[in-house]
Amino acid sequence: MKRTALALLMIVATLLAACGGAPAAAPATGGEQAAAGGGEKVTLRVWSHQNPSFIQANEAVIAKFMEQNPDIEVTYEQFEYAQFIQALQTSMQAGTEADVIEMFGSWVCSYASGGRLAEVPVDVMSYTEAQELFFAAPLDGYYCDGKLYGLPNEFNLEVGGALVNPALFEGKDVPYPPVWDTMDTLREQAAKLSEFDGDTMIRAGHHFVGGDGLPFLLLEGILEQGGTYFAEDGKHFNFDTPEAVATIQLLVDMAQKDKLVDPVLFNGEANQPYDGFFAGVVASSFIGSWAAGQGLVNYPDFEFDYVNTPILFGTQRKFAADAGWGKVVSANSANQEAAWKLVEFMAAEQENALTFNGTTGTIPALKALVDNPQGLLEQAPWVEPTFKLLPDGEYLGNVTDRDKLFYEIIYPAVLQALQGSMSAEEAAQTIQAQANEMVDTAP
Amino acid sequence: MTQAAIAGDPGAPRKERAGLRPGQRTFVWGALIPIFLYLGVFALFPMIWVVVLSFFSYSPVRVGDGLLGLGGRNPFIGLENFTSMLADTQTAQLFRTSVKNTLIFAFLVLVVNLAITLPLAVLVESVHNRVKGVVRAIYFMPTISSAVAVAIMWGYVFHPQQGLLNNFIKLIGLTPPKSWLTDPGAAVFGVPLAMVAVIIAYVWQDFGYNLVIFIAALQGIPHDIRDAAQIDGASGWQQFRRITVPLLRPTLLFVCTLTMISSFQVFVIFQVMTGGGPQNQTRSLTMDIYENAFRYQAMGWAAAMSLILFAMVLIVTLVQFRVLRTDWEY
Amino acid sequence: MATVDLTQSSSPSVARRNPLARIGTYAVLAIGLAVTLVPFIWILMTSLKPASEIVRIPPTFFPEQWSLNSYQTIFNDPKVPLARFYLNSTLVSVGRVVITLFTSSLAGYIFAKFVFRGKNLLFGFILIQLMIPFQVVMIPAYLILVQLRLIDSLWGLVIPSMVDAFGIFLMRQFISTFPNDLIDAARIDGASEFGVYWRVVMPNLGAPLATLGIFTFMATWNDYLWPLIVITTHEKRTLPLLLTWYTSQHGQRYDLTMAASILVLLPILVVYIFLQRWIVRGVALTGMK
Repeated sequence: MKRTALALLMIVATLLAACGGAPAAAPATGGEQAAAGGGEKVTLRVWSHQNPSFIQANEAVIAKFMEQNPDIEVTYEQFEYAQFIQALQTSMQAGTEADVIEMFGSWVCSYASGGRLAEVPVDVMSYTEAQELFFAAPLDGYYCDGKLYGLPNEFNLEVGGALVNPALFEGKDVPYPPVWDTMDTLREQAAKLSEFDGDTMIRAGHHFVGGDGLPFLLLEGILEQGGTYFAEDGKHFNFDTPEAVATIQLLVDMAQKDKLVDPVLFNGEANQPYDGFFAGVVASSFIGSWAAGQGLVNYPDFEFDYVNTPILFGTQRKFAADAGWGKVVSANSANQEAAWKLVEFMAAEQENALTFNGTTGTIPALKALVDNPQGLLEQAPWVEPTFKLLPDGEYLGNVTDRDKLFYEIIYPAVLQALQGSMSAEEAAQTIQAQANEMVDTAP
Repeated sequence: MTQAAIAGDPGAPRKERAGLRPGQRTFVWGALIPIFLYLGVFALFPMIWVVVLSFFSYSPVRVGDGLLGLGGRNPFIGLENFTSMLADTQTAQLFRTSVKNTLIFAFLVLVVNLAITLPLAVLVESVHNRVKGVVRAIYFMPTISSAVAVAIMWGYVFHPQQGLLNNFIKLIGLTPPKSWLTDPGAAVFGVPLAMVAVIIAYVWQDFGYNLVIFIAALQGIPHDIRDAAQIDGASGWQQFRRITVPLLRPTLLFVCTLTMISSFQVFVIFQVMTGGGPQNQTRSLTMDIYENAFRYQAMGWAAAMSLILFAMVLIVTLVQFRVLRTDWEY
Repeated sequence: MATVDLTQSSSPSVARRNPLARIGTYAVLAIGLAVTLVPFIWILMTSLKPASEIVRIPPTFFPEQWSLNSYQTIFNDPKVPLARFYLNSTLVSVGRVVITLFTSSLAGYIFAKFVFRGKNLLFGFILIQLMIPFQVVMIPAYLILVQLRLIDSLWGLVIPSMVDAFGIFLMRQFISTFPNDLIDAARIDGASEFGVYWRVVMPNLGAPLATLGIFTFMATWNDYLWPLIVITTHEKRTLPLLLTWYTSQHGQRYDLTMAASILVLLPILVVYIFLQRWIVRGVALTGMK
């Protein structure tokens, strides 16, 4: 008796353990049951990367949405940036991802082409309607192969501005706030802001050596000299050009000749442009205006301003813009209707979009908020310097894997040039070879 | 491998009981069948699957036609994953760099670890029992700490301006390195400084294991032998070299193999402390596998790389057995 | 560190007789203790400084101004359900310990005390398992969890490791020394086979079970890579994941990061202080890692 019981017990235990997990995973698709139940409450899950000001903004808008839609319950989760990317990929295979996902515009098409995202229903918004409402640079990141896969919240802009710390300008014989019309002025003045302890830089005058900074500066430099970074087929790249080399050389000179920043101590891994600025070791930090919004939330007592930085080459500014953050709906979502209702609510309704951009200090994707900027400027006055730049931005284009190109190809190569272990020419050639390998081996 | 392995006779299964009685059969197979069914699913099958995957260009992002998502858009490519390891592409270069880094790391960890733990064990063994217990317990403490916390802790110790280490170096009047973790140009005897830093942190965390094992092994050496040697006029060094080390040989063999194999598998401290930088100087094979499998979803390629890791473990085990056996029998 | 001078005291008798060697020995041991302990103390002290003191160059070692601010900030952070993370880590660790001890001792007992066809084959399979690094089977194990829909579930952290080859091996070694007479006596008294295992063998396995249990617990508690792959939801995270989440969120806020590290380290260090005898002996006895 007992022996048979044991044998049974063991088998049952194994089976139970194996199956027990399935119910545990079920809440992920809990929406189905709710929807099937008719009058029951629909539960929507929302995912975003974690950035305090983004969370604050999304929470406020979601709370308002739930108030107006008592039949919809929204749960909101956040992920650390690197884990967010991994979580998206693994969960989408397992079907456990959220209904509504805050996605970076430049990622959207790669997920859409894998069949992971739902198309915007025409009764919610057509592409033509969206074109009226949103700037082209952010919107085009959500438009893949003639279909629209989500709505943008943000016009991503990482160029043309810098955070400045008044405390580190004191006694340096540099006017504050600085007016940097030309690169020569910036280089001359920022050089005075760097501080040294012996040979070691302890404070950087102008920190631009970041994972976003270097790639965007490179692209801006290429465009302003009239060049292009795409090859003729529009898919491969051409970085081995005089324009690219000249841009990299300019950055190298700023680091090595002017000593605006020591790329060994200040880079994307240590004393990053954002962290280093708010740790008080960077006088001016080349970064997008979002950093000001995030800084206000994280460091409420820190005094700083956001100022324009000059054009790199020539007289006409031209820059590549990312599509920026926005909202998409998973193809697996069982509550498409409710999900799109939320997306439209968060991205297309002026008042809520204003809450988002105002709180996060990002530049609106919605044209109306820039045409009538009073509301936004009351909440986030520092974004004003960026408004005059917006018409000069063009969409980055389909660069296969944006994060890989930026963070693992362009950034490391330019960094090596700045650190002196490669010439500008070699850096350009390295980027060229690796970027095209990325295109050729993309899944 | 263990002292318990020397099984006492009274416990040996009796030879005459060659078969199982019916009741025993139910018990034995009732217990083993579920356990081995389970191992089939979670041990044998993964091992077979990883070999199969390594022959495919498999990415779970793509939907394949055949069994387990293989075939179709996840085509069979024969040995291409392995031959492409030697190709002149960035991916292959990165793989080779990570293998090289892992080998350098494992070798240096072994040397540094043994150079510290073996003499230290002798010292700990020589002190009063009560002191010995306390000292051993404290030395062992880092090994039970979370590797993530250790990596964060040491990342801060190595901080160029605020870090403990550089300020200590300044305090004693020397010039500290500019930056431990982010300076691609800095090296010590050709080993990148960031790698040195990772090795320091890892050895700090890990030395307690070997220390405790050596102390236990030393306690197993009869005092008579050493006393006799002393009476014969052998110096401390001679005793250590001629008596202690040879008697420790089995332990040494075990410790070397284990240290090296576990160094191959280190992931957290690389990932958290340096993220593989600067310029991939501390990118480990485990990091490369993880990133390719879970960030880029190139799982076929990652499976092939993980088989290389397996081969490394296997080779080291075999080679170390041989080297220690032949080298020491002079 | 290893010099001829130091190793000269390799014999206890030398150390006891020669006062110079004795002083040298204690000096080296003290340096070793300092190197081991100072990093712990350093992050503890850092976590007790106000943020403004931390960024000072050169830094202070002991706080000039003691402050619990960083801990308060973490406890009051609505985004950090700390109790939940502790619970997750505890559930997964305890779950794995209980299951592993059961399966290891049961299979270990059978391999030690029974003779049956296919035994060597099956035990050989267990031994081969010992040689396979986790990273090698990580990818298929993940794909299996996807099929079983265990991704983003705490079960996904327990289920793939319910049978531990090393545990079986270890238990077999210990149980081999267990006297057959006791087992036979129990059988004569009418105990079932399971009863023999449960009432006679198990109660005598205190030391090895404790060792295996503690190590399984610590390995699970500190595990980072597998939870990183399996868990996606914030509330389901285990403590080590919290730590990297916290670092990347707060970047250079060393006050918060170090306080979070202390919060992760503390429970296991407390456990260690009480169980260190078992743990250290266990390592010496089994070479467990």
